[in-house]
Amino acid sequence: MNPLFSWLKRKRRPPATPSPVIPRPPHQVDLRRAINAISDVVQNRPRPLREFDQIHMKSGDMVFQSEIVADWADGKRLAFIGDGDAISVCVAYLQASDVLPFGPAHITVFDFDERTVNAVTRFAEAAGITNLDARLYNVLDALPDVEPYDCFYTNPPWGASNNGESVNIFVERGIEACRHGGEGMIVIADDDELDWPKQVLASVQRRAAEKGYYVSKMQRKLHEYHLDDAPDLRSCNLYISALPGNQAPGIPSSGITDPVRLENFYGRSKEARVHYVLERHRVNYGKAHDDEYELKLFGDSR
Amino acid sequence: MNAPYKPGDGILFMKVGVHARESLEDIIERKDKEIREAGYALWGYGGSTCHPSTMVQPFGEAIGARGKVIELCMEEINSKHFADPISAAEYSVNGTDWHEIPEAISVRGSRYALWIDNLRKAEFQLPLNQTQVPIGNSMGRNGGRYIKGRVDKACLEMLDGPQIPNDAPLRDIPISLVATLRKPYAVFLRGQR
Repeated sequence: MNPLFSWLKRKRRPPATPSPVIPRPPHQVDLRRAINAISDVVQNRPRPLREFDQIHMKSGDMVFQSEIVADWADGKRLAFIGDGDAISVCVAYLQASDVLPFGPAHITVFDFDERTVNAVTRFAEAAGITNLDARLYNVLDALPDVEPYDCFYTNPPWGASNNGESVNIFVERGIEACRHGGEGMIVIADDDELDWPKQVLASVQRRAAEKGYYVSKMQRKLHEYHLDDAPDLRSCNLYISALPGNQAPGIPSSGITDPVRLENFYGRSKEARVHYVLERHRVNYGKAHDDEYELKLFGDSR
Repeated sequence: MNAPYKPGDGILFMKVGVHARESLEDIIERKDKEIREAGYALWGYGGSTCHPSTMVQPFGEAIGARGKVIELCMEEINSKHFADPISAAEYSVNGTDWHEIPEAISVRGSRYALWIDNLRKAEFQLPLNQTQVPIGNSMGRNGGRYIKGRVDKACLEMLDGPQIPNDAPLRDIPISLVATLRKPYAVFLRGQR
């Protein structure tokens, strides 16, 4: 069997703390239902804004990525630091609709794009998903006081023009959300031919180490994107885990104002000047916009 | 190579042909007139390989800082660009502040436009393998490997010499039309008139 499909026959992972629960029989995932569930999520996802490095993962890779995340964060509280891809919704929906018999106990999405936040909450409400919520939040602001998370996931701007500093800022917020404990999954560019993804990977690993984390796993060149200007570029899953006894520094989260860190945040010469992307409310949400078409009736001579 | 460029020069490569149902000859004639009357023309394009604010503008600033200009190098192809010939009403440099496009200028069927002058016919071969992408997520990718499939335009920087691939022949592209990019280099378009 192709190793990519091995999860189709995988057993449910045993819980972290052994319990007297009788193990479930092997669970087979219905691939058709899984793909159609992801299709539901993609249909609900706002269109990406390239100015902010919002680039959507391709749907096939979203199926596999969602299973990987659901397995990794099984039974845990998971924070998404930004999520234009809507992997959070896929993970929660696959679990809620019994396509996957495992998944996080709770998911919160923190995103500066109100369209994303509203799409998450609208979908959760419509699908009856009770363990998924979203908050409007910009990573350049102090992280609000939240109940600690066990792990975080981020697929941030990839930092081609700032040596990964934009990635590091997203990762630092994830670490804060986990109170400097737990684990993180970081999705960033991975390419053997180009120099900058290697430099960014090194920069992120250095920063994670400074924060008391180590690289616990890496899954290379897993995902493709709807990225017209770099169709061959893939991303990896970089996993980091807190060292035993790693402690939060005891100072509250604060906003980022250092101009050096903000330089080229969304690409070269593109500093972060937008605080939030706000959604324009429409009554026909999710439908084709009126200005995309007009109707020509039978008998209309125009 | 007979391309009139040196290492470090900036190029915006683009394939051109019929655009918004207008032949290339007609487009050239119209753009020449716009440059004579307004001092510049807006050369419309689409796709996301040369995004105005994340790619072309910072590339223009970087090349400008070296005291150079970006040359728009166009390869003529048989295209079937059937976008509606709608003339944009406004342009914006940053996507936030919008300005009316002067009456003398008409840019049709496009989301973005390059800010050009000095439009002229040319005849030389552009050695794609002697270029590389200088900015963005494909930064460092050789032009010969980058321009393929749906990637039909690119910001490129000339290298000292060609990167010779093992698995493909060198790619020299015939350039038949050239223009010079002027600040603000590229703009967003919206509306119709």
